[in-house]
Amino acid sequence: MATTLDLHTHSEASEDSRAPVEAYLNWIRLRHAERPLDGIVLTEHRQFNRDADYRHLEDKFGVMVLRASEVETNYGHVLVYGVNEDMLRRFDFANIRLDAQELIDEVVKMGGLAVPCHPGRPNIGLYEHYEKRPPLENVVAVEVLNGGSRKGEDERSAELVRRYGYSAVGGSDSHLVSLIGLCATRFAGAIRSVDDLVRELKSGDYEPVDFRPRRKPVPHAEAVQTR
Amino acid sequence: MKTFADVHIGDTLGPVHQFVSKDQCRKYANSAGLPAARFTDDEGARKEGLPGIILPGNMSLGLLSKLVTDWIGYDGGARMIRLSTTYRVPVQPDHTLTFQGFITHTTEAERRAEIDVWIENEEAERLVTGTATVQFDK
Amino acid sequence: MALNYDPNLIGRVFETTDAVEVKAERIQSFCETLGETNPLYADGKVAPPAYAVTFRNGRHFFQHVPRFGRAGFDAGKDVEFVRSIHAGDKITLSSHVKEIYEKTGRTGTMVFVVVRSTLSNQDGQEVAHIDHRFMSRT
Repeated sequence: MATTLDLHTHSEASEDSRAPVEAYLNWIRLRHAERPLDGIVLTEHRQFNRDADYRHLEDKFGVMVLRASEVETNYGHVLVYGVNEDMLRRFDFANIRLDAQELIDEVVKMGGLAVPCHPGRPNIGLYEHYEKRPPLENVVAVEVLNGGSRKGEDERSAELVRRYGYSAVGGSDSHLVSLIGLCATRFAGAIRSVDDLVRELKSGDYEPVDFRPRRKPVPHAEAVQTR
Repeated sequence: MKTFADVHIGDTLGPVHQFVSKDQCRKYANSAGLPAARFTDDEGARKEGLPGIILPGNMSLGLLSKLVTDWIGYDGGARMIRLSTTYRVPVQPDHTLTFQGFITHTTEAERRAEIDVWIENEEAERLVTGTATVQFDK
Repeated sequence: MALNYDPNLIGRVFETTDAVEVKAERIQSFCETLGETNPLYADGKVAPPAYAVTFRNGRHFFQHVPRFGRAGFDAGKDVEFVRSIHAGDKITLSSHVKEIYEKTGRTGTMVFVVVRSTLSNQDGQEVAHIDHRFMSRT
């Protein structure tokens, strides 16, 4: 059974988001026709929300909530799936200067997977770092569709996928309720837990999906008259 | 007069399209006591590495606040009790900006509505994002 | 590289400004530069909510709030509107540093200093709370 997940989201637990998880799930239920998600993965900035329990909300809305992290490294931002106590002891997630290669290698050893996100973004994406330094080893997948991308960024991400043969995922990178699920990942297999997610991410059997609406051209608007 | 019962998750604010001129930007900056070059003088702004003058963050906040208070209406019944903004990309004047919002959450007990708001440029880039909370009298 | 600042700074009020009297003409010019036509505000008797962010810190800000790297930018604000501001009100601003943190973004490594200010009127009533995020690039 296929599973569609938004792999990159920020709730109010992240310092730059004010979106309650409940509002995200309600929005997904309301917009299911245009953004058919089975669940979301919370990837809070520089932290792992170890004690959060969203089971009652999952039951209420029928949407799965998994937890992961977005950390910052010398090769840009990286999503860490399958976070466990071993990883939290080994790495200070709040450190914005983590070593990307070490993180990628150690996370796999500890049973998870690290996925560089928005690789086409200046400074915090792989693309720019690859122009100056050797590519990272053991990268399985990167995020090629990101709901917060500026012009050209997703295109650069896609170029990396072509060049290095990475698998490709999508995520909204949502910081606002109404932006949840704009980009997501469709997995061929069934996912019901973080362990399932890590297994499926390693399998390569998935594709990024784009639910961003096409925008109508902006009409010319009048200037406000000021004295 | 708007009441809490009128408000539903998914309702929209705008989109409102407004051309914000350099002249308006300068006038805001000067009147708000922010005469810095980056808000008033293209040459000076370019020296700071900007493409030209940009709107002060407070001006973007003011325009988003207006989106919400216009939605509330002129005859009361509700007030904005919180507005939070993030300046993601500098907002350049002499462009048509789009102001937009969505009701994303409501709390019945407190009669409050949570609203996503943002400012986009012509290329649909979200330059400023924010959230607002509106409290209804009844 | 840890950020270098005095941890005792966090939470300690570094400044309470002198009262600033709100003039109807300033409210009117604020409205005009934002294209505000709402009759609740446009006559200058009551300020639109966003007027709260126009009150500024004084010299203590520069003496006490640490600076990291080059010129600071306004990264965003979180404003809680408690009471309306009226023409004739005398507003003071009392501020402390709420938190300091760093993160990386499109433009490089950034340090965020969050300054929380409480605005009070002449009767000692709280008017607004503003969390102002100042960003500087290191």
